Parts: sequence; structure tokens; C-alpha cells
Amino acid sequence: MTVILPSWTFSFGKSSILGHHFKNTSYMQIQLENLVPVPLRDKIMQRSSDIWNRQVTFTPGGFTKIKAPSGTGKTTLVHYLYHIRTDYTGQVLVNGKTWDSYSRDAIAGMRQEQVSVIFQDLRVFEQLTALENIELKRVMNAAPYCTAEKVKEMAARLNVTHVLNQSGKTLSYGERQRIAIIRALVQPFQWLIMDEPFSHLDEENAQRAALLIAEECKARNAGFILTDLDNDNRFVYDTHYNL
Amino acid sequence: MMPSFYQLLKKIIQTGIGKARLFMAAGGLGIAMILLLIAIQAHTDFDQLLHNQRNANESADFLVINKKITNAMMGQNAKSEFTPAEIADLKQQPFTEAFGFITSNQYKVTAAAPGELHFYTDMFFESVPDSFIDVKNDEWKWTPADNTIPIILPNDFLNLYNFGFALSQDLPQISQETVKALPMKVTISQGLITQEFTGRIVGFSDRISSFLVPGSFMDWANSKFGSGQAAAPSRVIIKTKDPSNPLLSKYLEEKGYTTNQDKIKYSKTKLIVQMIVSVIGFFGLVLLAFALVVFSMFIQLVIASCKKEIQLLVTLGTAPRQLQRYLMRQFVPLYITIGIVALLLVAALQWFASAKLATHDMFISQWLSVGTACAALLVIVLVYIVNRSSVSRYINAIS
Repeated sequence: MTVILPSWTFSFGKSSILGHHFKNTSYMQIQLENLVPVPLRDKIMQRSSDIWNRQVTFTPGGFTKIKAPSGTGKTTLVHYLYHIRTDYTGQVLVNGKTWDSYSRDAIAGMRQEQVSVIFQDLRVFEQLTALENIELKRVMNAAPYCTAEKVKEMAARLNVTHVLNQSGKTLSYGERQRIAIIRALVQPFQWLIMDEPFSHLDEENAQRAALLIAEECKARNAGFILTDLDNDNRFVYDTHYNL
Repeated sequence: MMPSFYQLLKKIIQTGIGKARLFMAAGGLGIAMILLLIAIQAHTDFDQLLHNQRNANESADFLVINKKITNAMMGQNAKSEFTPAEIADLKQQPFTEAFGFITSNQYKVTAAAPGELHFYTDMFFESVPDSFIDVKNDEWKWTPADNTIPIILPNDFLNLYNFGFALSQDLPQISQETVKALPMKVTISQGLITQEFTGRIVGFSDRISSFLVPGSFMDWANSKFGSGQAAAPSRVIIKTKDPSNPLLSKYLEEKGYTTNQDKIKYSKTKLIVQMIVSVIGFFGLVLLAFALVVFSMFIQLVIASCKKEIQLLVTLGTAPRQLQRYLMRQFVPLYITIGIVALLLVAALQWFASAKLATHDMFISQWLSVGTACAALLVIVLVYIVNRSSVSRYINAIS
């Protein structure tokens, strides 16, 4: 049996990498202030958006859907939120401070303890097996959040048990996507950021994955920010935005 | 069994890529380390050799220094006296551990042997602070109430008499004991004032070539029979830790002072050895610097070749600190191996040298000195720090 503790217990107690900035905040707060991507500036200024060039505060613990047609900067937004791109004007504030004000090690601590991500391009190590890809993320934390059995259990729920020992190179996109989903769920987090997480999955597998994600978020009292092209009813969303 | 985080990193970050560079760096480091250790060990060994030499002839610790008498100075006794400035300068030299004046008599002294020996001579006395005298004797004291003056003769003097004078003149050779048993009639005078004492030889000195009397007697007699003014000394004595110190011989040469040259004869040898040792040490340092550069290039290559992987690891939340620790964990065993191999090699060399030298009656320790071991440790720590900073610099540059 797996014991799942509320996520903030973890972020308080155990991590040495985690800075002390978060001690007084029970929830990681993400805010956008007049955020505009430099490459899309002209395009964005011509139309209205719920996100770009506005004041946005994402509700902690809430399920947020951002609907975004192609070319509106969906993936760009995810990269800004996760701080792997910075070619924007305006600000992304995390607990009231810009990403830049955190040290590399503090950001790494947040990525291990407070915010998890599923990229559209999946980003799986090809020199590792599927299981090793998940394991890498699980044991990155000195005290892993979930057990190896729990990983197997999640793999079974997403129908990828049979590919666990296959090299990352030989996985299909659908399999990679499910491995990436499991990888994102083995760590503690308060926010899960997802970029078209079901794009390579059939309807049945998408439903299974959505159910698992919702459960894991509830177990952590965590919220998510999901970007996708169309409307969907896979989750009970608290907030909808149009990009 | 699930692999650990570092085992997984090992599959992702291949450190095998720059093998040639790594071997070059490791080889360079090893040779640099050996050169440095040899330099330090040789330095210690040579000190040890000198030290042993010094123990064999204990008087080498004390040097009697006087000005060189040149033809130009002859007839002007004042020119051989030390001025207060010269004395102050000599006192503050790093090699001077203790300093004492040699005080001369300012009165006439004559000595006559007792009884039938018909021996009579003019002579002189000198005194030095007691701490500079190598004859420890209970009789070595004098108060104005005493009529007997204890005297220390130079050993050389007795030898000159016994083996030079006595043999050629068909006179009897005299043992130290006999000399000590002979009371001498010592007369000191200045003008019309005369006083007679009994002189008794209480010991023979290897250290100071002079007729020594206790300082208390010298002061009393100089004030009673002398001019009353303290005369400037023309001979001084210093105590020094290392008479072979090149600084000392250079100083003496520059100032035109002389001392027993035999005692400082090792200074030239030491200078040469120091030079050789410095050159070896210098090459060691240069090579160490090159090895550090090659190490740094190797680290740069490894990190550059895994740039994508490292970037993804950081994106997934791996702390740069974790990556740094992982990479250093790959290198540290190498440093330690190199350090141990270098130490073992130099230790073997030392053991061999010690055995070889022992057959020539020169004794050095069979073991490495503590300084050498510390130096090896220091080099390893230095390499660790430099490499650690390169690792963190290159990781930060790409993440």
C-alpha cells in the first residue's frame, strides 16, 4: 500500500535543496504580469487574449485549462511557466518573485518538489529504458516520493507495462507520452504543467491517463495548468482561459 | 534491484569520450606530483644530512666572528673593532639566535708555572657570557673574595704544545688532568698596581680559541686595573641554528668578517642542492599547471559532448550541484590513485636512497617526511578545487 501525504508536508520537511523561501507559503503561487513573448508581440497585440499582456493569478489547487489554437504561443507559455525560456516582456512571478531571482539550485529544488511538467515533445532519454526514464526522476529526490511498486502500478493503469524495459529509442510516441506522464507523477508537486498531454493517445488511453492525473493531483492537493488545442471534458476544470 | 540516481547518470553522461585527454592529464598530474614530492623530500633529506653532521661536531652551532685583518689595517687596532651599528646589524640577522661579546683584558697579565718548571709568559684573558661556553664546571665562578681564578684553555692550545712544541723541543707531553692539577701564578698589573692570583685550569674548550676567565672576574679586573671604559669588542660570538645557511656566509663575506671557515663549508653545497631542488620543484609546478589545464579541457569536452543530456536533466529538476557531485565522484578516485602511486614511488626512491647513502655513512630517514605527505595531500586538494570550479563553470554555462 502506498501512503500519500499532503504535498506541503514534503516541501516543508525533507528537502535540503529546497530553499527557505517557501516555508511561509503553504502554496506555490504563480502570477503573470503583462507577459508578452517577444517573437509573437505583433501578432498578440492584434487580438485579445486571457493570458498575454494581462494580470493573471492561477488559483492554487485549481484545475486550469488554457485553450490555444495553433500558433498562439501555447508551448511558449508552458516554457515560460516552467522557466526554460525567457524571451518575454512582463513578468512570471513565483511566490511574488521573478524566476530570475531564484538560484539554479533553488529552481532545481522547486522542480523536484513543487512543480512538475509534461512537455509536448515528451523529452525522454533515448539511452535509458522506459523504466529508467521514470526511475531517474523518482530517485532524483534523495527521499523518493513514491515507491517503485507505485510506478509499476501506474504503468499498468496506462497499459505500458510491456514496454518498461524497452529502450527509449524504440518507444512509439504514444508510449513515450504515457512514460512522460508517469515520470511527471512520481514526484511531489503543487503544480503540474501539461502541454497537450494526450496528443498522441487514443481516446481510451487518454481517459485512463486523465483519471490517473486527476487522482494524483487530488492526492497532493495540487493544481494543474493544461494547454490544449480544443475543448474537452476529461477533467472538471475550475478555470478556463483562451490564449 | 533498481539503479541509483548516479548509476542512471552514468548511462546518460558518458565520461569516456575524452579518454586521451584524461590519460594526458592524469599522466601529467602524476609526473608533476612525483617531481614536487621529490623536491620536497630531497630538501628534507639534505637538512637531515646537515643536521647529523652538526650533531657530530656540536661546536658548529657557535661561531666566533672577527673582522679580517688586512695589510691596510695593520697597526690600527681600532679598525678591527665592531662599532655599535655593526653589532646591532649582526644581532638582528635572521640566523643569529644568540649574541655575545668577547671581552678582552685591559691590563697586563703574566703567568708563571709553579716550582721547578721555570715557565713564564705574558698572556691575555678574554671572557664570554657563560651560556656560550661548552665547559660546564662547578669551579667556573669567581667572586672578589676568591684568590683563585678558574681558566678555560682552548683544546687546540694543549694539542699544539703536546704534538708540536713538546715533541720537537724534547719536552714532556702533558695530559689534561695534569694541566688541571697545576696551579699557575697569575699576575695582573697596570702601571704600578699589581695583584697576584692563583690560576687553575678547569677545562678545555673546542668552541672558543682563547684563554677564558669568568665574566665576573673580567669585569672586576677591568674596572680596577683598566681604563674604566668598556672597550669596543673586536671578536663576537653568535649562536646559530644552521652554520651552513648560505645567508650567513654571504653576510660574512659582504661585511669582510671571518670565522672558522670549516664550520660554514657546507653552505656552498647547500646552495647548489637548494638550486637543484628548486628547479625540480619549479618544473613540478609548471607541469602541475599544465595538468590542471588539460583536466579542465577534458571536463569541458565531457560536458560539451553531453550538453543536450545535461540540459534535459536540469530541465527535469536535477540540481547543478547534483551534477557537479556526480562528475567529481568520477574524478576523485583518479586523483587519489595518482596521489597514492606518486607517494609510493617517492617512498620507494627514499628507501633506496637511504640504503645507498647508508653505505657511505650518511644517514637519512628510510621513510617519507610528513611534509612530503602533506604536499601530496595539498596537491590533491588543489586539483579537486580547481576541477570542481571548472565543472561548475561549464555546467552553469550550458544550463
